[in-house]
Amino acid sequence: MSWAAHDLEPYAIQRHLGGKVAIVPLLIGSYSPDMFSKWFVYGIDVLGIELKADDPVQFHRGWPGVGFTHSLAFGLVVAALILLLTRSRVWSLSFLLGHWAHALTDVGDTIGTMLAFPFSTETFGLGAWAYAGQTDRLTDAGAYFSGLGFVWDGVWILYGLLSWRILTRDYFRETIVPADPVWRWIGRWLPEAALLALYRASFFYGTTRWVAWLIWAHLLNDYPFDLSWGGPDWVEAAYD
Amino acid sequence: MRTLALYLAAGAAYVVLGVIWPSLLLSWVEGTAFLLLCVWILPAALRRLR
Repeated sequence: MSWAAHDLEPYAIQRHLGGKVAIVPLLIGSYSPDMFSKWFVYGIDVLGIELKADDPVQFHRGWPGVGFTHSLAFGLVVAALILLLTRSRVWSLSFLLGHWAHALTDVGDTIGTMLAFPFSTETFGLGAWAYAGQTDRLTDAGAYFSGLGFVWDGVWILYGLLSWRILTRDYFRETIVPADPVWRWIGRWLPEAALLALYRASFFYGTTRWVAWLIWAHLLNDYPFDLSWGGPDWVEAAYD
Repeated sequence: MRTLALYLAAGAAYVVLGVIWPSLLLSWVEGTAFLLLCVWILPAALRRLR
């Protein structure tokens, strides 16, 4: 799993494809694999009752479970549905690219993703950073921001900052708005300052929380850095 | 330049609050609402008060 890459990768895709894609479906696609399942991986407390998957790893990435949401075929199916419902190729393609970026990025951890589902339930993983979603959320954050995961996110932040022009008002007016009628529709109720904030929100969210989690993990707490492959060693990583 | 300063201030405030209350860092909705508050709602309210 990644903590900031899913917020930032859509902007990189946007930069390369310009008006051929739209940022809203790119972001929805990027968030979609975890959108309805992550809370059950970490667990939540409802009126004193803990709701949590018995086997969070199996639930999140496996089959049986919702691991199919991280497959390339799932992205294709939802993109096809979007095309059927909206008749928008831009929305369909954007969703697909955002979704595939998520599925491929999560290949980086020690579990990986079932990219070839439903043809295979094998997970493809590089094992670069520890998957620790089976622990609690804060331990997972501490582990992620101590291993290579946060470095990977940092690459996207750096790339985003080097591509700063895509965050400007001019780029928003000339490329983002013409590519997607959604912006004109929202613009009936909100001024441009609000639209720009919404456009930049995921970049803001990904970047600031990357900084905040690093400070939290290493200045407020003492989680040791371990940039070895598959690290950090101090957390019990899940493996497929 | 004023807009950039506004976003940087919002980012710094969000980082400080997030370090103190990490649960703030877990919600995209809250993060986006915070940004809207800092760069749109509060500046618009201040302009109206002047």
